[in-house]
Amino acid sequence: MASRTPRTARRPGPAPGGAPLPAPHRGGEPPAAGPPGAPDPPGGSGTGPAPRVPRPRGAGRRREGAWGWLFSAPMVILLGLFLVLPILMALWVSLLDWNGASNPFTGQARFVGLDNYRSLFTEDGLDRTLFATSLRNNFYYVVLTVPLQTGLALGLALLVNQRLLRARGALRTVFFFPSVTSSIAVATIFLFLFQGSGAVNALLSWIGVKGPNWFADPRGVFSLLLGALGVVDPEQPSGPLAEHTVMGLSWFEWLSGPSVAMCTIIMLAVWTTSGTFMLIFLAALQDIPRELEESAAIEGVNRRQMLRYVILPALRPVLFLVLTLGLIATWQVFDQIYVMGQGAPGNTTLTPAFLSYMSAFDDADFGQGAAIAFVLLVIILVMTAVQRWVLRERGDRPGRKR
Amino acid sequence: MATRTAAAGALMTCAALLAATGCSSSFGDSAGGEQDTGDKQRLTVLIATSGDAETSSVKKAVAAYEKKSGHTVTVEIAKDINQQLAQSFAGGNPPDVFYVDSSQFANYAGAGSLYPYGDKIKDADAFSEQLRTSFTHDGELVCLPKDASTLALAVNTRLWKKAGLTEKDYPTTWKELETVAGKLTGDGVTGLVTSDEYQRLGVFMKQAGGWITDEGQTRMTADTPENAEGLGFVRSLLRSGSMKYAKQTDTSWGGEAFGKEKAAMTIEGNWLAGAMKHDYPDVGYEVVPLPEGPAGKGSLAFSNCWGVAAKSSHQAAAVDLVEHLTSAEQQLTFADAFGVMPSRTAALEDYAEAAPEARAWAEATAYAQGPVTVAGFEKVATQFNTDLQSLRTTDPEKILAALQRNGEQALKKGN
Amino acid sequence: MTTESLRTAETAEAAGTAGTATAGRETRPGRERGSPGRPVLPRFPLPLRAAGYTAIAALGLLYLLPFVLQLVTGFKTDPDAAANPLGMLPVTPTTAAYQRLFGLSEAADGVPFLRWMGNSAFVAVVVTAGRVLFASMAGYALARLRFPGRGLLFGFLIAVMAVPPVALLIPKFLVLNTFGLFDSYAGMILPLLVDAASVFIMRQFFVSLPREVEEAAKVDGAGVLRTYWSVVLPMARPALITVTILSFQGSWNEFTHFLVATQSAQYETLTTGLARFVSGGLGGGTQYPLKLAAALLATVPVAVLFFCFQRYFVQGANSGAVKE
Repeated sequence: MASRTPRTARRPGPAPGGAPLPAPHRGGEPPAAGPPGAPDPPGGSGTGPAPRVPRPRGAGRRREGAWGWLFSAPMVILLGLFLVLPILMALWVSLLDWNGASNPFTGQARFVGLDNYRSLFTEDGLDRTLFATSLRNNFYYVVLTVPLQTGLALGLALLVNQRLLRARGALRTVFFFPSVTSSIAVATIFLFLFQGSGAVNALLSWIGVKGPNWFADPRGVFSLLLGALGVVDPEQPSGPLAEHTVMGLSWFEWLSGPSVAMCTIIMLAVWTTSGTFMLIFLAALQDIPRELEESAAIEGVNRRQMLRYVILPALRPVLFLVLTLGLIATWQVFDQIYVMGQGAPGNTTLTPAFLSYMSAFDDADFGQGAAIAFVLLVIILVMTAVQRWVLRERGDRPGRKR
Repeated sequence: MATRTAAAGALMTCAALLAATGCSSSFGDSAGGEQDTGDKQRLTVLIATSGDAETSSVKKAVAAYEKKSGHTVTVEIAKDINQQLAQSFAGGNPPDVFYVDSSQFANYAGAGSLYPYGDKIKDADAFSEQLRTSFTHDGELVCLPKDASTLALAVNTRLWKKAGLTEKDYPTTWKELETVAGKLTGDGVTGLVTSDEYQRLGVFMKQAGGWITDEGQTRMTADTPENAEGLGFVRSLLRSGSMKYAKQTDTSWGGEAFGKEKAAMTIEGNWLAGAMKHDYPDVGYEVVPLPEGPAGKGSLAFSNCWGVAAKSSHQAAAVDLVEHLTSAEQQLTFADAFGVMPSRTAALEDYAEAAPEARAWAEATAYAQGPVTVAGFEKVATQFNTDLQSLRTTDPEKILAALQRNGEQALKKGN
Repeated sequence: MTTESLRTAETAEAAGTAGTATAGRETRPGRERGSPGRPVLPRFPLPLRAAGYTAIAALGLLYLLPFVLQLVTGFKTDPDAAANPLGMLPVTPTTAAYQRLFGLSEAADGVPFLRWMGNSAFVAVVVTAGRVLFASMAGYALARLRFPGRGLLFGFLIAVMAVPPVALLIPKFLVLNTFGLFDSYAGMILPLLVDAASVFIMRQFFVSLPREVEEAAKVDGAGVLRTYWSVVLPMARPALITVTILSFQGSWNEFTHFLVATQSAQYETLTTGLARFVSGGLGGGTQYPLKLAAALLATVPVAVLFFCFQRYFVQGANSGAVKE
């Protein structure tokens, strides 16, 4: 999953300064740099931001205008060249049947219109099956990872926020450390831990459990559960579940859940990202006015009630923030897939991001790859838009108002 | 706000886009650029290796060439050669010389990524005709066949004895294979271990009398009862536990499982010999022909050629290097080092004489089936391999039906 | 989800409140309101506290153990690592993996570790320098300088931050290819030189700074460039450090961009080299000591930075550069 700190840092909106900083010492942050909501600063007021202090007039201002563009020029040029331009180029390529051998901008490649998109959604065939499979996999990945990482992060934050806990600074460091390391390095460790005869299975064998062959097991965990309950035979699915298909996958395949192999990637994601989100929660927890807790204590509430009626309500905005950040990041999972699965076993670790990469660079079908990338882009942009919209509507930005 | 930003962004970038495409330098022209004819050229060779044995012998051969020619040649080891080649062809700076697998050949040659140098080779006729045909595109020999390999059954002699079996028990039929695999399984050893891909399991389809396409590769013949019977047999072995995929034994391929004695038998090609010699010299083994199925013998054949990039600026030197690497002498050295069979007819005869232990592989050339080489079939094959990973729990007919459907689409698109 | 997280939270809460009064004295400069250290609710009884600490220790172990195993396994032999994946002491300790990584032993084929390290370091340093400079410039312009189109530019920045990097894999490849930058250091570095998030952080910081000092500098006749360089930048130290750290960490750990921007072995970084080495390669076998040692060394620079940075950041903040 993509929630390595630098990526999270790219996240929009509230708390840009707070969370991604590898230091939980929020005391060090410039007070006003933390909370600004992305949506409404001067950008919202259009071209002429109202100056708070009257400016010295005339020539100075014109000079300042030139300097302004000069100072912004590197950003404009680089972002334009390596972010906006590529998107437009890829949009064009997604309309082509291009195998990478010619120049796609000179008409040497065949223009196929929306064919690449059509084969993803409406045409029965391999492309659609693969795409549907990748959507299913990523959906389960999101649905399991996001609640788990949010819950764990909240728990950890409550834990290290205890004023009486010994060594909480060290604990905070320990919990946060996996988040700052390279996703590739961490995935390598997990590959080692989850081998068939690896550390995890050795641990499991101590308590008499025979662990699965994690990375070679394509069976969906839901189907295993159902199988254990005797509802369906996962080895030989039959009945209506197996007969009806949507986008080339049977109901059974849609419902079988993340594979055992995918579960290891989910565990990895939860393990690495919980630290980052813990810091976001921690910052919010420390901004709950102490007076509030004290007056609640005078009322005689117990811990449970304190959590339920004082702490959690105060955390609600930040909870929404963390959930949406998780949603956005989990749809981008790529690094771990590249290292740990590359789609195997049985395409159960295939995600849209990886499928897009594979179509382009393995099968030399760049048009198809670009089309998948665009679908992914739309999915993520829609979620980001919703996040920003909701956070703006709320008016109060998560956390840290002093 | 957003729309205004978008509009401005679009305007800005349209201008940039025009400028960019106007001066784009890397794409395009299939012809090689300026040809370097100097005495001290720098060449890059990209190989996909079966192990340290192959790597070091290619490096040695290249070093000898460096000495002879004065050029500098770097050998790079591809981790995923198809992906790296695709990316470098599109990126416009491919390596000068590289392995081309016969299954990829049609794609590369069709896209014009290969420099056809067959007419520059004087003794091209000395190479096996069958192999030359598989590297010919539009009537032109594009690249020289590097070597050939087939599949056979390797048997661990120590485990064999331990299970109370003798040479007489070397399986010659499916039934016997099933029996000995069962006897060999247990105590951390699996009877038969091989990779979960059609490039291995396909032998059972062949032995049952089927194959993925018809002979001319014009029609899909995947959903036949013969193929289903072949895969059904594999499935029954998998279910009994006497056969496992390499990944299930924490190894990356059958040879590794075999060398680590996690497998008593494996289905592998000639490269196994090199890996065993280099990595597991103490493991005793013997190579025997694959057991016959209901329709008789069946094996698969693989070959590579030495591709030279159309965009290379060292084409003359590259061809020179290839000639050095495919000399009869060099081919026999390779054969000795990592087991592949020479692609020169005369050298193959020498090899068969010099390496009687590899007879099973050499004999299989007579009946071995080559891979599917239809352009665009790679994706279909990948999906088939993916489905084969779950063969234990899936109906073979379902897998084959999907293969049939996907393959038909690829054929339609490719032609 | 809610009930689930609630339950987790409660457990953690129950486990966590255990502690003694002395621990509460940990200093958190300038942060704690009220009476620092005094708990709002009373402590747990002793048995519960003990249980809580055990649970916390287990939790901490869960986060630490993988790294410990990684460290230990790096000194094992291949068969040892395969046979005793949990062994805390190598049966026959060996530095073979590290020797191979540093080219001290033969058979280092395919793992040109020093080359990876060098590429990673070079790219990370250049990218960090560029990002800090450009982000502070653009951030300053967006926060302070008045120019036509500023609001538009800020909107552009906000929009750009929403673009997910993985959707840009093929697009980036296309653009690098078009400019002839594919498979070159320029192609690796240029696209990373500006990062929208860094610009955003800098801008927000500059907005928060008081204008008075700058105004004073202007009255003294300082131009925009001098004001920026000698007055504003020194005040921006905390934010600059933040951006530096984030940029270094981001570019050191960057994977996807290098994956599509390069192809030859000579440009492999720690991330792409390690990823290709670990994820495939028939001949690669399962040399876990080597792989884990390489992964460990790839983690070290950021880890060092991380541990040093925590302290440094607090210092920087306490030096009083920023006042409300």
